[in-house]
Amino acid sequence: MKLKNIIHLLLFSLIIVSCDEEFVEDVEIVDPTAEERGEFNVPVDFVNGIYGRHTDFAYAFSYLGITEIISDNADKGSAPTDTGTDKHLLDGLTHTTSTPSIETMWTQWYKTIGRATLSIEFTEEYYAENADPENLEGRLIGEAKFLRALNYFWLVRSFGPIPLQHQSLIERVPVEEVYSYIEQDLNDAISLLPAKSEYAPADLGRATSGAAQALLAKVYLYQEEWQAAADAANSVITSGEYGLEEDYATLWRESTENGTESIFEIQGRGEIPAHGIQQYSSTQGARGPSGWGWGFNTPTEDLVNAFDSETDSIRKNATIVFAGETLWDGRVVDPAVENPRYNEKAYSSANAGAGDGDKNIRVLRYAEILLIYAEALNEMGQTATAEDFLNMVRERVDLEPKTGLSQDALRQAIWKERRLELAFEHDRWFDLIRTGQAEEEMIEHGKPFQTGKHELFPIPNDQLIQTPEMEQNPGW
Amino acid sequence: MKLKLFFACIIFLVFSGLSHAQQTKTISGIITDANQVPLPGAEVKVDGKEIYDVTDFDGNFTLENVEVGDIFRVTFLGFAPQELEVTESSNYSVVLQEDAGQLDEVLVVGYGSQSRADITGAIASVKSEDIVKQPALTATQAVQGKVAGVNIIANDAPGSNPTVLVRGLGTAEGGRDPFYVVDGQPVQDIQNISPNDIESIEFLKGASYANIYGIRAANGVILITTKRGKGKPTFSFDTYYGVRTVLNQVEMANGAQYIDYFNEESAASGGYQLQQNQPFETDWYDELLQTGTISNNSFSVSGAGENIDYFLSYNFYDEEGILEENNYSRGTIRNNNTFHLFDDRFRIIQNLNISYTNESPKPFGSFSNAYRQSPLVPVFYPNGRFGQSYVNQTTGIVNYTGQEGESIGRLNPHGNPVSDVFFADEDINTTTLQGQITAELDLTDYLTFTTRFGATQFYYKRYAYTPTRERWLNADPRRTLEQFQQGRVDADGDGSISTEFANNSYTVENENYFRWNLEGFLTFEKTFGKHNLDATVGISRENFGGRENFEGQAYDVFEERRFREISRRTANFFDNTVTQEFSQSTNLQSYFARAEYNFDKKYYLRAVVRRDGSSNFITGDNYFATFPAFSVGWTLTNEEFLNDSDVLNYFKIFAGWGEIGNANVPINIQQVNSGDGSRNTNYVFGPTQSLILGAAFGSPVETLEWETTEEWEVGFDYGLFDRKLTGTIDYYQRTNTNAIIQVTPLLNSAAEGNFLAQAAEVVNEGFEFLANWSDDINDDFSYNIGVNFSTNENTVQNVREAFDGQTGGSLGNGQITKRLKDGEPLFAWWMYEADGVWQTQQEIDNNPSVGNAAPGHLRYVDQNDDGVIDDRDKKYFGSYIPTYNYGVRFGVNYKNFDLSVDGYGVGGNKVYNGLKNTRLGGENVTLETFNNRWTGPGSTNSAPGADRDAIASSYYLEDGDFFRINNMTVGYTLEEMSLVKSARIYFTLQNPFMFTDYSGFTPELNQNGNPKQTTGIELSAYPTTRSFLIGANLQL
Repeated sequence: MKLKNIIHLLLFSLIIVSCDEEFVEDVEIVDPTAEERGEFNVPVDFVNGIYGRHTDFAYAFSYLGITEIISDNADKGSAPTDTGTDKHLLDGLTHTTSTPSIETMWTQWYKTIGRATLSIEFTEEYYAENADPENLEGRLIGEAKFLRALNYFWLVRSFGPIPLQHQSLIERVPVEEVYSYIEQDLNDAISLLPAKSEYAPADLGRATSGAAQALLAKVYLYQEEWQAAADAANSVITSGEYGLEEDYATLWRESTENGTESIFEIQGRGEIPAHGIQQYSSTQGARGPSGWGWGFNTPTEDLVNAFDSETDSIRKNATIVFAGETLWDGRVVDPAVENPRYNEKAYSSANAGAGDGDKNIRVLRYAEILLIYAEALNEMGQTATAEDFLNMVRERVDLEPKTGLSQDALRQAIWKERRLELAFEHDRWFDLIRTGQAEEEMIEHGKPFQTGKHELFPIPNDQLIQTPEMEQNPGW
Repeated sequence: MKLKLFFACIIFLVFSGLSHAQQTKTISGIITDANQVPLPGAEVKVDGKEIYDVTDFDGNFTLENVEVGDIFRVTFLGFAPQELEVTESSNYSVVLQEDAGQLDEVLVVGYGSQSRADITGAIASVKSEDIVKQPALTATQAVQGKVAGVNIIANDAPGSNPTVLVRGLGTAEGGRDPFYVVDGQPVQDIQNISPNDIESIEFLKGASYANIYGIRAANGVILITTKRGKGKPTFSFDTYYGVRTVLNQVEMANGAQYIDYFNEESAASGGYQLQQNQPFETDWYDELLQTGTISNNSFSVSGAGENIDYFLSYNFYDEEGILEENNYSRGTIRNNNTFHLFDDRFRIIQNLNISYTNESPKPFGSFSNAYRQSPLVPVFYPNGRFGQSYVNQTTGIVNYTGQEGESIGRLNPHGNPVSDVFFADEDINTTTLQGQITAELDLTDYLTFTTRFGATQFYYKRYAYTPTRERWLNADPRRTLEQFQQGRVDADGDGSISTEFANNSYTVENENYFRWNLEGFLTFEKTFGKHNLDATVGISRENFGGRENFEGQAYDVFEERRFREISRRTANFFDNTVTQEFSQSTNLQSYFARAEYNFDKKYYLRAVVRRDGSSNFITGDNYFATFPAFSVGWTLTNEEFLNDSDVLNYFKIFAGWGEIGNANVPINIQQVNSGDGSRNTNYVFGPTQSLILGAAFGSPVETLEWETTEEWEVGFDYGLFDRKLTGTIDYYQRTNTNAIIQVTPLLNSAAEGNFLAQAAEVVNEGFEFLANWSDDINDDFSYNIGVNFSTNENTVQNVREAFDGQTGGSLGNGQITKRLKDGEPLFAWWMYEADGVWQTQQEIDNNPSVGNAAPGHLRYVDQNDDGVIDDRDKKYFGSYIPTYNYGVRFGVNYKNFDLSVDGYGVGGNKVYNGLKNTRLGGENVTLETFNNRWTGPGSTNSAPGADRDAIASSYYLEDGDFFRINNMTVGYTLEEMSLVKSARIYFTLQNPFMFTDYSGFTPELNQNGNPKQTTGIELSAYPTTRSFLIGANLQL
């Protein structure tokens, strides 16, 4: 071979090496993408995932601790030796910054907010590029915003000033700012979401404009913005979408799920494939002989007395399972069960002790809207009108109407009505704090309530270890 | 071509015509080295005339038409050039001296080489004699302690690779290995290359030189140059054989001491007591360890002919570890040839390396089991079964036997270390074929074109056999074969039984990969007066990283080794499983250019740019990255004012800056949580409450790209006292500007799982000092002393807010020991600070304590004085990475004897004695722990009692400083004999002594080198070994 030929050959090989950058892209991809694996998700999937977050075990155990067991409505229950990790601390109002139930709910709510935010982003991105023949985009964003607002509401009433996740994970913003963010989400949701009756049957259970309106009323109530609360409640009342169930006793049974009184519920199914709020019925089920559960979150004697003081036997019997009683479905509760009383609202006839049960947790229902309306009107001095709405709730359970009360007496009556009507519906502790009754009520029960401290839960210790710059709540 | 030949003829005719007129003559001669060995291929050229010759096979040359008074110059690579004047004599004998002066050596720098004198950066070079002096499987292990700024953490397990950190650890999640290039060919590692075949190793430490390898250079670049033939045909034979034992054996408590310790521990929790008289006593390390052996035999034939240089070698390395049948052997065949064509204007360079290995691994967990297992447990019970930690809790006798109603329990949950090793039956074979062809063409005398194709094919096979039945029977000496057979009865008739009752299981794994590279570059080299200019431009393409893995598993195969086959089974209760996986390969397209200019060898200026496009990042916005570098130098000793200095012979200041990348980074994958059934992404909707599937984003996905490291260095090279003292001192600072860290989501963030983010910087900075003193007192006596010292400070900084906090260093018992934190070294030690021992319950009651503190437990400091001991009280305690390391060497030659001593040390680091810390109860302890323990109030305030907690704390964190003599060699070179060119025999002690305060086996705990795992923690580390070797080199 001549040298010249070699030069040509070498230059030629150089040209082969150099010619294009496509070589970099010319790699045989051996990992299929999600789309190629057939695992591609559309926006509605991620919105379903936000709802799904509400079926976690947190709502069946930790949530009981920080909403009811801590209050005058419920005791820890269960066996004396079974602390339920930390339920004894909450019951005794001796919880600390390290109490796991508080950390669990803090985390649970923030992670749910995260899902909502990510699904809103994804929905917007997705429909920017894909057709939306069913016109889903607005509704999906509305659903996510409603759920985000709901979780922020739970957070703010528990922890006070909190970080807004999209702004900073460290800096806590004032309660007013959190509420205004919630209000903005809810107002968006009201305009984006269909009313309950406008949904296709298959979508029953999704957030509605009425649910957003109802939550908004409650949000204003907590801020004592009476007119706004009354307006929002009124628009739910006048929407024609909702009414009261006739029989209070059926309110938490399967038969009334998503019924006329239902505004928003967390859904569960007991039939295979079962999927409900993990163990919600079993953690609160009767414990011991003939029992079906762990026996936590038991009604106090004080609650029984409260019912009795109003001769409110319908709601008492619908709310409480008494040891030795025969339940409406014929189940006999052994007199020798561990505790004298259990929460009947958690009882599932079909899936009493199952891991996944059919129990729907009623988050918002029409009776509460009536009470919010009544309370707001009363605070604005419209006492007589307020009484009418209070009495709608009382009438159903055959109680004498309240008439001619002073503003203050009516206020007390509404508060008491809330306690009895909404017992074990995860509001009692926050009502006590909101209305300023907590200190008196707790001290009366021998609980070491400290004003200026116990109104808020502590920011969980583990969060402060991660973000030492974040401030702790006063007194903790 | 023809035209040029024509000119050459004309010139020849002209010169021959003139010869008569000017009284020219012909001279001849021989060129040899100092040992009178002829040097073929040396160049002889007459100054200012076109007269030259190259020595032939016997070192002879002839120059025609020279005149008296002409100067001719003799040059040969590796030797100092010489100039002679033509005298009346027509016969000349020239002895070339080997080039001892470091400054004239030529260093490989990637796509070319450069004279040491022209280098403007910190490049370390280790030559073959220093590599073979420390026998080791891989060359990097052999050069530990010899290179400033390169921290090599040795591992003495057979077949293992050391961890190599060039100028510190700069990445948390990315690849940590340096980039290896063998004779210009990128390779995965150099385990397939025999150290005997290596001519030199260059470490491109700084970015200004490493930068030529762009996106893969961030962990430093190591260039390996293998040997080529030169000179007369030479046959050489090198051999050594050695034995090795554990260097730093830790003494354990004996049976009686164990009984005391156990009883004290047990009493604290109201447990049973052991009796003083026990049936068995075992020294587990005695039973487990053996004397290992190491041997190596190497043959080579090399030489240079007129048109071909050749090198052919065979090498066989064989090692048996200190665990029985823990073997590793490697054979390599190398053939390197260079063909010189067309008057050496065209060269074909061919390299081929074939390597095959055989390995039988044994579980290193047996080291920790030997530490933990009670000395009262026998190796074997009288019935022939392996001893286990069974104890009769009623009688307190450590045995599995007992009367009716007596309770048989276990002292501890650990196994029998000897049985661990006995039952491990695994073989790994690999074959590596590596080769390349390079063509170099001198287009003109200043322009050369090079093109190269290289490829590696790697095969890996693993056969692992588990005698499940024997393991089951030996796990409990009371078990019978009948019980086992009952387990094999298919009671429910579904055709399958529990794999617990398989007779055995058998796994076969095959893996292979192929990688190739193709490159071409032009090299320009020309001098214009005092201006010297070098330039290189080129392109390359590579494909690597793709691999195929195939694994099959079967139960109930034939027990006899030769019948073991996945598809041949003795029973059909179990299904075979087969998996096949492909790994994504990477295509890399690169462009590089380099220009080097110097004026009169005084002022140096150098610029390099590399552009890499990697297919790993094609899903990102950008997959091409450009890496620039610059360096400057000034040789002061070439200036007038320093020219005549008697003391300072050489002084050059250099400074460099560059960017380099790490493309070996994890890729973020968008994780979507979804699935059917009851999970929190699903929900029920509709009147019949149907289960509707949903999904959730696992974690936010940040787009990741390669890590970019920016480095600058400044330093100087010096030579003093006739260059007897030479060295380099430099300072570097390298910053990984976009380090990938794994982020543990905050409780209040949207992320549901850990995710990766480019959210931190990792800075390494330090000084490197190098000094060599070398002196020949007279012909019989010479000596040299070398010292290198380097510092390294590692810091994580500028972490995105709240993105740090990832913990690591798990001890396997729920305790963690490390945390990534802004301002601290990468995964710094993070734990409670131990401060004394609780003496009384009263003390505990009056002070903050953690867990179920009891007298005799360690007490921990409440750092923030808030009355609670929690994570806020954990403190940072530095890193396992040494803040300095150093090497010293001393060599003497006296007549035919040579003696050398090499030492290596590190300091400023901490290591964690995980073996001492992680107790579940009932384990053995060291004699030291036994003797120092707390035995009651006032006994000691420094060491915990037998009843203690298992919390990680600074008590178990010890100084990792050590100094080790890693090589002492005495050699004797025989007088030259008729047939034998040279012969030397030597004795070597490897690691004869180690000086350390560390209480465990070895403070060198690189594990897999992953900073967030158990690196720096002794849990089941292979101990450092001491070897005694005898060897010989023979050259014919």
